[in-house]
Amino acid sequence: MSNSAMLLAQAGAEVAKVSTGEAISFWILAPLALGGALGMIFARNAVHSAMFLVLTMLSLGVMYMVQQAPFLGFVQIIVYTGAIMMLFLFVLMLVGRDSSDSVVEVLRGQRVWAAILGIGLAGLLVTGVAEALTSVRPVGLAEQNAGGANVANIGRSVFTDYLFPFELTSALLITAALGAMVLGYTDKSKRRTQRETADARFRGEHDRPSPLPGPGVYATANSVAVPALLPDGSIAPESVSAIIEATASRELATDIETVAGAIPGPDAHALKPAAAKEGDK
Amino acid sequence: MLALQPPPQAPIDAPQIEYSAILPVLILLGAACIGVLVEAFVSKASRWAAQVTLSLLAILGAGLAFVLYVTDSPERGLTTLYRTIAVDRPALFLWGTLLALGLGALLLIADRTVERGGAFVAQAGIRPGTVQDRAQMASGGMQTEVFPLTLFALSGMMIFCAANDLLTMFIALEVLSLPLYLMCGLARRRRLISQESAVKYFLLGAFASAFFLYGLALLYGYAGSVKLADIANAAAGSAASDTLLFGGFGLLVVGLMFKASVGPFHAWTPDVYQGSPTPITAFMAACTKVAAFGGILRVLTVGFESTSWEWRGVLWVVAVASMVIGAVLGLTQTDIKRMLAYSSIAHAGFLLVGALALRPEGLSGTLFYLLTYGFTTLAAFGAVSLVRDSNGEATHLSQWAGLAKRSPVLAWVFAFLLLAMAGIPLTSGFIGKFVVFSAGIQDGMAPLVVIALVASAVAAFFYLRVIVLMFFSDPAPDGPTVTVPGTFTTAAITLGVLVTLVLGLVPAFALDWAGTGTFAF
Amino acid sequence: MSRAELLADDPIWLILLKVLCIFLFALLTAMITVWAERRLIGRMQNRPGPNRVGPFGLLQPIADAIKMPFKEEIVPRTADKVTYRLAPVLALSPTMIGLAVMPFGPEVSIFGERTVLQLVDLPVGVLVVLAAASIGVYGVVLAGWSSGTPYPLLGGLRSAAQVISYEIAMGLAIVAVILQTHSLSLGDIVDSQQGLWFGIALFPAFFIYLVAMVGETNRAPFDLPEAESELVAGFHTEYSSMKFVIFYIAEYINMIVVSAMGTTLFLGGYMAPWPISLIGDNYFNSGWWPMLWFIGKIGLALFFFIWLRGTLPRYRYDQFMKLGWKFLVPISLVFIVALTVINVFDQLSTTGILISAGFFILLLIALVMMIPDRREPRAGRVPLSGGGYPVPPIDLQIPSKPRRTKQARSRAGRRQTVAAGAKEGDDGVS
Repeated sequence: MSNSAMLLAQAGAEVAKVSTGEAISFWILAPLALGGALGMIFARNAVHSAMFLVLTMLSLGVMYMVQQAPFLGFVQIIVYTGAIMMLFLFVLMLVGRDSSDSVVEVLRGQRVWAAILGIGLAGLLVTGVAEALTSVRPVGLAEQNAGGANVANIGRSVFTDYLFPFELTSALLITAALGAMVLGYTDKSKRRTQRETADARFRGEHDRPSPLPGPGVYATANSVAVPALLPDGSIAPESVSAIIEATASRELATDIETVAGAIPGPDAHALKPAAAKEGDK
Repeated sequence: MLALQPPPQAPIDAPQIEYSAILPVLILLGAACIGVLVEAFVSKASRWAAQVTLSLLAILGAGLAFVLYVTDSPERGLTTLYRTIAVDRPALFLWGTLLALGLGALLLIADRTVERGGAFVAQAGIRPGTVQDRAQMASGGMQTEVFPLTLFALSGMMIFCAANDLLTMFIALEVLSLPLYLMCGLARRRRLISQESAVKYFLLGAFASAFFLYGLALLYGYAGSVKLADIANAAAGSAASDTLLFGGFGLLVVGLMFKASVGPFHAWTPDVYQGSPTPITAFMAACTKVAAFGGILRVLTVGFESTSWEWRGVLWVVAVASMVIGAVLGLTQTDIKRMLAYSSIAHAGFLLVGALALRPEGLSGTLFYLLTYGFTTLAAFGAVSLVRDSNGEATHLSQWAGLAKRSPVLAWVFAFLLLAMAGIPLTSGFIGKFVVFSAGIQDGMAPLVVIALVASAVAAFFYLRVIVLMFFSDPAPDGPTVTVPGTFTTAAITLGVLVTLVLGLVPAFALDWAGTGTFAF
Repeated sequence: MSRAELLADDPIWLILLKVLCIFLFALLTAMITVWAERRLIGRMQNRPGPNRVGPFGLLQPIADAIKMPFKEEIVPRTADKVTYRLAPVLALSPTMIGLAVMPFGPEVSIFGERTVLQLVDLPVGVLVVLAAASIGVYGVVLAGWSSGTPYPLLGGLRSAAQVISYEIAMGLAIVAVILQTHSLSLGDIVDSQQGLWFGIALFPAFFIYLVAMVGETNRAPFDLPEAESELVAGFHTEYSSMKFVIFYIAEYINMIVVSAMGTTLFLGGYMAPWPISLIGDNYFNSGWWPMLWFIGKIGLALFFFIWLRGTLPRYRYDQFMKLGWKFLVPISLVFIVALTVINVFDQLSTTGILISAGFFILLLIALVMMIPDRREPRAGRVPLSGGGYPVPPIDLQIPSKPRRTKQARSRAGRRQTVAAGAKEGDDGVS
């Protein structure tokens, strides 16, 4: 009892003592974290949102380190920014860069009410917690960092006081892994091997035995997005992957005319057709 | 050979673990892990048989371990694993209920006679509406992963009832929720609505978990500990600001109420109950409710009893809201699964009345109510899965018209279950409502009980409407047929109906058992 | 005085000096590595490599450094401008952080101040390196995304998946070391290798680390995010001029960091290698000498990187993922379990030994079950048929390689300049 009272007194003494370094880093990190959180909500682009969230998490990680929890801080960075947000980004990149929020309101006035109630809840929590935290004293930090062995002490609590929750987490992880496999896995046992596909191509089960032609012949630019032109000046549709949005055909008008012979051709040493040069001027 | 340094700290003393007490949970978790390995190593053709055998054996084994322990368990209960798990009489009662309900739900899940290949999709990765999807609908396979997932969920529920600190409770909450989110999306037919329900449940569930976690953080800030007993001690005599305590409590309760589909936190319930495969709906409706209320009872009684006069008013409002929403909106439903969902919301309100009583009668009454409601709703959803037409289950109420002429047995069974839900005497529902409401009155909550009685009268109306529809309407010409169920489903429905009947006629033994002890912490 | 106490005493000028030295060390080593790589690869491929600027082409990196910033900077119209500019910075800056916790040497005296050749010795030093690496990937991934064209996007995606996968294997390899040292501080890890280096004592972990470190730095044969035969130049296809240089330098500094990390964890850090450590009462392990060993070991590791690039063909992406998840991760998990059992073996009771033996047997059974059945060659299949298309006969004999004399070698050098038709009858290979 007296021991814990002493600890409390010790902890109580620590309240007043926020070192200058800690204060400075707080006033740098806190606005960053808050800005990141707000940016995450208001950014239109999903990837920007994710990046703002990364900023917030990094700031929090550094804040943990400043508050004498180095292990927690670095694990926050490795796990959250390094792995989880990276997976987020991974998915967002697959979704496509131009996808942004739908602005259709399914329930009328939903956004307004969500904003009002959300801000209300945030206000309540912030004022409540801010008022409450004036009288809160840190507990247990000294024990946790005893002997400069932050990591060892965390390990000790994980394998004593929090042993069961810690072990139970493995059930959660197995479930998550199993779920990902259930949702993502489709039976590929009937899929052809590379060899069988090649055979099938030559047997004529596909449109053509070879891959689609690249933008090589009569192409007018290096980009894969610019289609090749056929000798009559029309666009060779096969030469551009359907995934890539082809360059708008009006941008190619001059090239088409040139190839079709409507404009006198360039001499063998010119890099660009003469007509195009005049057109540029 | 290795340059092993001496560890800088003294080695950890191995804890004393009461293995006999937590053996049921360990058996379920172990069997779930083995089930995952079965998925990896057993050939596809024999997986279903292996998984069903394993899961049934696991639940029966857990039941055996449970019975062996209960016969000579200490009266006051005990805490083990560094006081994270409290195995006391209420927890044991809930464990028994959960194991029995889990067995019933597992039988429904394993059934392959009502629908060829079972109620679950053959391959969840196939996109709905494609050629492959039509092929899988007709195929006899299923995602046998639902069996280990069910076991995980069941063990999560059991831990949730017995969790003695909020952190364990949170992780148990996730362990029970995550498999449910997944299994909701695995229906064989109407897959889009099933997937929608899964996403909805997942998103809202994640929000609810966030609320729970935020509450946990505030309470930790208040008490300096996540243990319920320490929070109670701190609340009894602490100089710290009460804002943290009540802020934390409020947020925590939101998370708990969401899982129990109480009152204004019910929005997911109808959609998810409707979209999920019916065996999963039965599992959720019966077992999740039991587990969630087990958690609510423990949190309210152990952690916050001393401050109850501060928060009780708020939970009164929640209970009233739940009963009114369930009863009134239940009236307007045209889908039988949605109707049962609203009924479950109303029942959550009734249960909350018992939980709010905060006295031994309230505790035992709520436990008993959970037992009766679980079996009734399990059997009801089992019966719903039998009424089918060419598109799968026929859940629209108009399709149920005149069902008594097509299948009198099913109509009588279903009518009996609905009467039990309405709380008609000679059914378990009556006894359940009686004990809960009388506990409420003893605790001076007469106005709440009056509201509850009115609400149950309103709710009785929509149960009776279905009965009238089944018995006194002409059947539609192209109406659904009633499938003759195989052993598994028959066993599950029979179990539910029998328990409902027996607890209605001779409730004394169960009531006695429910009232034998209080929480240990 | 302990390492941490010595470091805590450092005056501010000394800290700044160390920062400057680490910065210069990173940049200089990167430049030297670029030159060495081009020379060595050239040597391995029978060509001279850079040889015009300075003796042995030594000034080539400087010439490049002057040339690159003056190139035209092209920003694609489809680029997401802010992220596009941010990406190179994100790639470069975290790499330096990793070097800040590396112990370059033991206690020395700098201008009369006793200190340790290390900037900071955090109790979680190992995690710092991992954290820095995990942030560094953002540069690559965002570069791929923000360019707004398909190939960089694919490169970015590959990089994201690759780094996450290989970081797990790397982390597990490091866990084996931590199990032996009971400390996450890099200084302690070096100190605990006084006897036997962990590279030998924990060879499986060392091996896994070696593979994972190549995967983590996107280097050949795992350079899939920038595979030029598939993705043009991968994530940095759309980058030019100074931004490209930053990616280039970041890649090399990353190599240096993982090499330094590998040295510290497995190769005894700054300690003198075995026969040298016996000379003169461990004289070469004191003062400034250890820094030489440290840098020498980093050099060895960098040579290993270059050697790999010169030797191995690039992996296919799915094979690469399979290697990570189905080989490295399980092996390291099994190794950690085995290591734990070995560590506590003398404390185990008979039951404990029996349980671990049972576990081991179960594991063996599981492993045996995982071995795929040998696929029988399908009967009646004619291997030569390509559906009527001509294929070379299967029993094509590769002619024996003629012995190379000095004369032949010089002839080979000449031959490259001779027209293709002329070389036919020349050497009898055809």
